[in-house]
Amino acid sequence: MSEVLYYFLGFTAIYILMGWALYLPYRVGQLHFLIVACMAVTAYFGGFAAREWGWPFILLLLVGISIGAIIAFVFSQAIGKAPCFTVVIVGLTSVFIVKTVIENWELLGGTIGFFHIPTVKYLLPIIYILLLIVGFLIYKIDHSRLGRAASVVFVDREVAVSLGIDIKKLGMFFQIIACAIAGMAGILDAFFVNSVSPEFFTFSMISYLMCILFVGGYTTMWGVILSAFILQGIPLLFPSEVASWRQVIYGALLVIIILIRPEGLISRKMLWGLKPKFSFNNK
Amino acid sequence: MEIFIAQLISGIALGSIYVLLVTGFNLMLLVAKIIQFAYPQIVVISMYTCWGVLQLTDNKFLVILAGITVSIILSILSEPIFRKITSTQGVDINASFIASMGMAMIIMDVMSHSINYGFPVAFPPEWIGGNLLSFGLITVSKGQLYALMGGIIAVLIFFYLLYRTNQGRFFRAIAENRYAACLVGIPIIKTSIFSYFIVGVLGGITAILFSMLIGSASPWLGEFVALKMLAVSIVAGLGNLKGGLFCGLILGILEAMAMGYISGSWSNAIAFVVMLVIVLIKPQGLFGSRI
Repeated sequence: MSEVLYYFLGFTAIYILMGWALYLPYRVGQLHFLIVACMAVTAYFGGFAAREWGWPFILLLLVGISIGAIIAFVFSQAIGKAPCFTVVIVGLTSVFIVKTVIENWELLGGTIGFFHIPTVKYLLPIIYILLLIVGFLIYKIDHSRLGRAASVVFVDREVAVSLGIDIKKLGMFFQIIACAIAGMAGILDAFFVNSVSPEFFTFSMISYLMCILFVGGYTTMWGVILSAFILQGIPLLFPSEVASWRQVIYGALLVIIILIRPEGLISRKMLWGLKPKFSFNNK
Repeated sequence: MEIFIAQLISGIALGSIYVLLVTGFNLMLLVAKIIQFAYPQIVVISMYTCWGVLQLTDNKFLVILAGITVSIILSILSEPIFRKITSTQGVDINASFIASMGMAMIIMDVMSHSINYGFPVAFPPEWIGGNLLSFGLITVSKGQLYALMGGIIAVLIFFYLLYRTNQGRFFRAIAENRYAACLVGIPIIKTSIFSYFIVGVLGGITAILFSMLIGSASPWLGEFVALKMLAVSIVAGLGNLKGGLFCGLILGILEAMAMGYISGSWSNAIAFVVMLVIVLIKPQGLFGSRI
């Protein structure tokens, strides 16, 4: 496999995981950027523990998931049912605080980054197996009572309360699952690139994740897959002069999609239209 | 004590810039019902315009005019986009936030590609002005004084407009109840466009004062400022104009104090930690949300 294809497939899978991590809390109307802070924390922890303490990859994967879930649990006590923009600002400030701590911590390589993280054999197939497992879990959540409850909360919180849905618990559940996925993505990213840099966890990454979610479509989990492949492929498909303007392209895509197709490329209505229609009259 | 006073003056000057930013942001939120996350990027591009004009001429009037004009143009250009979003999707604040994030990405990337090869720009000393007063460690620069005075005057004029004129009554009526305002004959679209104009003027003034205060601009400045503006607005309570005044000023002072007593790179983080704690304790903001 060529190096370009290898990295394309690896990064796309990691971004799909992160896109799903953003998609889940948005089911209840919360833009949860804390996932980026969780990814940064676990990427650095995973890299450091593997290089300095020799911790195995599988153990770190479990620790990464746990760290993400614990961080989310602590924060979700306060923001489990908070309005969207309170959650946004908690996420954005957390990313900035984590980044500042990393940049000022010499042990983690400061602004330069942390390098020489050990390699893991067959990492790409492992990433895709994990992607399938996470995808299956999200599919199951989406088609469960929890998923339907989340849809009601998204449309109308007052109706959800009158139906007996505990908005805080539901929000906490989605936030914890999202941060656990982000924690896993952080470990995978550290081992995939063999290094971690604070420059990776910036506003650009948050914007990119927003693009993945909203260009693909925020009403189903499939939109994230489609847009991650498209957006990740843009720099490869176009000449380098055009690809260097990818932030402009992503930004323009985001504005255009909100204007002409607010639900994104793949919407729930569209999927219903694709389902085979059964009728008792048909023979 | 000298450091404390020096940092307090610097903090109030910085705080007045945040107050201007949050006021413009809240006006958009209340009247146009949008989250204009790209507003600080418009301010930064106006700062770049001022820098560009300063390369051509020393005429300060032209520089100020250019900065304000660019801000007004960019603000009004964004109006049809937001109007389309709010008209097709009802009043969806989330959608406006996403679209404005896209705009912020475009403006930031254009600045980092096209202007000064992406490097930060420095304003000439004659624009910033030297030190006005100096007592031991306490120094008050002209930039600080301009930011402070300019901020106070701009906010006073804005609040006069809001509470003492017909146009201000229209603004407040729309903020209170859009449909009721429409029923009593207030021109919603015209008033909304006028709010974009006012925000453009405020953005231009902010850009000029900010460039005098910090003396430089970079493509990434808007990102930090946007984060602070949104944080102040949420800590105060979304759409709460008076709360925004108080919290903007406090953030400036807090940041300046942290800068004076703690290492520079940690000072921003300290301000963010404080805001994060407040948001976690009071998710609806200190003064209550008006949305």
